[in-house]
Amino acid sequence: MATTYVSTGETKGTRAKTNIARVLSYIFLGFVTLLSLFPFYLLIINATRSHSELQAGFTLIPSTSFLYNLKTAWNDRTMFVFPMALLNSFIIAAVASILTSYFSAMTAYGIHVYDFKGKNMLFKFILVIMMIPTQISVAGFLQLIGNLGMKDTYWPLILPAIAAPSVFFYMKQYIEGSLPMEVIEAARVDGSNEFKTFNIIALPMLRPALSVQLIFAFVASWNNYFTPALVLDSSSKWTLPIALAAVRSRINSEAGNMGEVYMLIFLSIIPVVLVYIFVSKNIVEGVALGAVKG
Amino acid sequence: MTKKHKSISYAKWGYFFIAPFFIVYIVFQLIPLLSTFYYSFFDYYRSGLKVIGPEFVGFKNYATLFTPDSNGQIGFLTYFGNTMIMWIIGAVPQLVFSLLLSVIYTSYRLKIKGQRFFKTVMYMPNLIMASAYSLLFFTLLSNVGPINQIIMSATGSTFDFLGQVWPARTVIAFINFIMWFGNTTILLMAGIMGIDQSIFEAASIDGASAGQVFFKITLPLLMPILVYVAITSLIGGLQMFDVPQIMTSGNGSPNRSTMTLIMYLNNYFGPSKNYGMAGALSVIIFIITAILSFIVFKTMNSPDKGKKKSKKARG
Amino acid sequence: MKKRILAALVASAAVLSLAGCNTDNNSNSGANNSNNSSSSNSSSSGDSTGDNSGASTPDDDNFVVDKNKPQLIDTGVKLSESEGKVLTIYAWNDEWKKMFEKYYKVPDGITVNWVITPSADGAYQQKLDDALLNQDKAAADDKIDIFLAEADYILKYVDSDYTKNVADIGFSNASTIYNYTADACTDSNGVQKGMSFQCCPAGLIYRRSIAKEVIGSDDPAAVQEALSSWDKFDEVASKAKDMGYYMTPSFAETYRTFSNNVSSAWVDADGNVSVDPQIKAWIKQTKDYMDKGYTLEAGIWDDEKNSHMFKEGKAMCFFGPAWYYNFSMGNVKDQKKDADGNVIEDSPYGERNTVGDWGLCVGPQSYFWGGTWLLAGAQTDNPELVADIMNAFQSNEKILKQMVEIDSQFVNNSAVNDSYTSNPDFGNEILGGQNDWAIFAEGAKNIELKYATGYDQLLNEKLQDNLKDYFKGTVDLDTAWGNYVKTINEAYAELKLPEKLTLD
Repeated sequence: MATTYVSTGETKGTRAKTNIARVLSYIFLGFVTLLSLFPFYLLIINATRSHSELQAGFTLIPSTSFLYNLKTAWNDRTMFVFPMALLNSFIIAAVASILTSYFSAMTAYGIHVYDFKGKNMLFKFILVIMMIPTQISVAGFLQLIGNLGMKDTYWPLILPAIAAPSVFFYMKQYIEGSLPMEVIEAARVDGSNEFKTFNIIALPMLRPALSVQLIFAFVASWNNYFTPALVLDSSSKWTLPIALAAVRSRINSEAGNMGEVYMLIFLSIIPVVLVYIFVSKNIVEGVALGAVKG
Repeated sequence: MTKKHKSISYAKWGYFFIAPFFIVYIVFQLIPLLSTFYYSFFDYYRSGLKVIGPEFVGFKNYATLFTPDSNGQIGFLTYFGNTMIMWIIGAVPQLVFSLLLSVIYTSYRLKIKGQRFFKTVMYMPNLIMASAYSLLFFTLLSNVGPINQIIMSATGSTFDFLGQVWPARTVIAFINFIMWFGNTTILLMAGIMGIDQSIFEAASIDGASAGQVFFKITLPLLMPILVYVAITSLIGGLQMFDVPQIMTSGNGSPNRSTMTLIMYLNNYFGPSKNYGMAGALSVIIFIITAILSFIVFKTMNSPDKGKKKSKKARG
Repeated sequence: MKKRILAALVASAAVLSLAGCNTDNNSNSGANNSNNSSSSNSSSSGDSTGDNSGASTPDDDNFVVDKNKPQLIDTGVKLSESEGKVLTIYAWNDEWKKMFEKYYKVPDGITVNWVITPSADGAYQQKLDDALLNQDKAAADDKIDIFLAEADYILKYVDSDYTKNVADIGFSNASTIYNYTADACTDSNGVQKGMSFQCCPAGLIYRRSIAKEVIGSDDPAAVQEALSSWDKFDEVASKAKDMGYYMTPSFAETYRTFSNNVSSAWVDADGNVSVDPQIKAWIKQTKDYMDKGYTLEAGIWDDEKNSHMFKEGKAMCFFGPAWYYNFSMGNVKDQKKDADGNVIEDSPYGERNTVGDWGLCVGPQSYFWGGTWLLAGAQTDNPELVADIMNAFQSNEKILKQMVEIDSQFVNNSAVNDSYTSNPDFGNEILGGQNDWAIFAEGAKNIELKYATGYDQLLNEKLQDNLKDYFKGTVDLDTAWGNYVKTINEAYAELKLPEKLTLD
């Protein structure tokens, strides 16, 4: 296509090429958008359907039970209180994700900036432990929190977030690419102490990376079923995935309601979407930041 | 002389910075982990509510894991194979997709409008929990689901997606793909944003083609993040668990062809709480993961090794 | 920004809960208890006595159940000072919790702490086991007083030191109980550790309209006559198939009729697993039915099966006990319900309902299915209360009659059940008014639970799961059995299974 514009000059040819690339890009993005929204579409459709409609099979056309399902889910008091589960999930996910991002950045900074004895060994150690599937240590972990008296508390869901090897690794990679030592040395010359330098100068420069890991950690904690289910006893402390499992567990009983299940899934997605939209702004701002750094 | 003195005086700060991580890691993960490894040499499980063992048995648990079944197959190798197959079916298209997307988003030349919208939408599939996907796809693909209704009216019979080996594996890989491509794209995007934008501007002024910019500038500078993405994807792939577990009720059906390594491990944490066997299997999984990660790390990291060394020397 | 989102969340929460409250008041006439179960700790002192006059009158015989107004029954138990103030109960869902809260008046000053763990992925037993193994360290109020268990794994707990001899706390079996319910929770030394509030004789639940076409009658006696043996059952299945119907809605539908009539246990004393001829018979039948298209391929709890309870359904024979069609056949009514199971809409049934189009008969062989037991925790600090609850749920007629009439529970009390069997006014509307209690009361007499083991749950479930590939024709029997052996060996280190399964 571009060849037809050759006579009009090099720049126009490039522009035409760019235009074609742009059109193709939009088509591709449109496809990705459809693909991404498809599960949400299914969820919303299902959240509008009554239990008996859902049991009758699956369709792609919405029905009329949305408000009814919403009230059912929101007012369900049989085993848990939905707004409470929502709040519990939010507290745990927020604190855990902030701890993960902050301490991973701090550890990566410590390894990158300082030259201390055993540093390379410790770095390699973290790389090795990153490869260990978390499921391996679950049994010992549960015994431990029993011994520490942390059963039925939020501590076992929050504190371990401080040590996240793979987040550390990401931060380390990121810092290598985007945190020049000159900046830190300049701060030292200005008399800034080391923690202040990290908190005031380095952290803001890591904002895109922090945002990325914040949202990842938030989602991971938000959707985690396994550990909270084993740690939390009181239903007043339940998180959303446990509440969802509870509603599903009675699905074959008289009170079984698939409409409520889909509504709970739908409702539990809204807060993460909000958090993501909030954080994604930082990721976009990171572009401008990158330019300043150069 | 003064410089050396300076670096020595700062060095101790390194310990303060990394201390929280290591303290928490040792307490909450290392101790449980070491006990897991330790018990791999013991007979240690529950029979009902009675705890059997721990009784030292040497390498017996390992020997059991390496014993072939009646078809001559060694269990963990089969499940490792299943895991890798499902990972590759999902991860390769995912990497291509994500690279393409992140280049489009960050392209200086394309200036895509509505980026906020596209980026938000693209990551959203990751916000839905695995159990919800399993539920959705299970009903979507069931014999009475809409897809089979279409197939039924076209061909006169239904297609058993989850009852056949390759379709079942593909469905699981596809769910993992949908869930994680946005995640990968964000990682890559953040990496590209970290690259000095003036390099792209300069390249564009010099008349470099999009392909040249990508292969000569973006890709090499993106290497550290690509290494990260490749390794975490591999590790994540080896840890594949929740989607196949829920989709197949833990059976890895059909014929255990969607049974992953971690599902296999999880089986030993069933009613018997078999710490001995689970411990031995954990050690094997750990070794497999380490070898594979090492290979990826070496092959991908070699081109820019020199650059890294010079940076480290500054520390 | 973060604050703003949080504020918005809280605000929308408030609005929604207000909106919810209104409808709650309009529709919630059925269960007046739902509002005080809003937290896991429902204290008995205070509001719980508000709606329902808890005072019970002495004239038990004339007690009339008001279906729209469940009554809290005060057993009048006087607890000694040494009793704890918190009753801790472990369960996997709220089935019994609802009945407990509707009918049992908890003594003043006692708080009930429910620890409910959804049983997905074995989570309930996992949590229960960990709690039991750590009872020594638990505070008195946190010690497990009662926990619930099912027939398929109850022996694991009964045969352990973590359950209490209920004779020691003042519980004794009433003469009216069904003996198997006591056997099921008695350990190998003859010590009884708990009780059950229900009895689970089961039958064959058939679609009347389909039976009329295929068998020529929908009368329970005539249908029973036509399906009284497996040979006859096969004949009818073939006929049903020719007429475009499925004999059963799930490949595992008939499993319990075989597995609960075995003549040997799954596991012997040395941990050897053997397959009973009854189980083999099920395998042969199921393979045959799948090959011939007599049955749907769905699992026993699948939506595909449940969808055949609607009007357009094509499956004729469902198998289950009283709790099954009352609790698990909600599609029959095709109606909207809230989380407490109360009907929301004014019109009783949806247009695809099949209420009245069902009949109950014994089927090819008498059997039972399921049941929930209450076991006493070994270190309970509420022994008198635990005993009172157990006694109430086996012999307090006011509680039991409400359970029969409101919840359609076939209770563990033959006197109460028998009072309904010949009552012409008592019947189930799903079954077109047929008095199902007569059939169940007859079946209940024959139930034996001689061959249970603590391993049965997984041995039963995983057999169905692993053999499904064979039934479908994906793999041969040897491979499917091999997969089953692997599954069981991974789950239970101590069990030994035969390498090959021979069906003849």
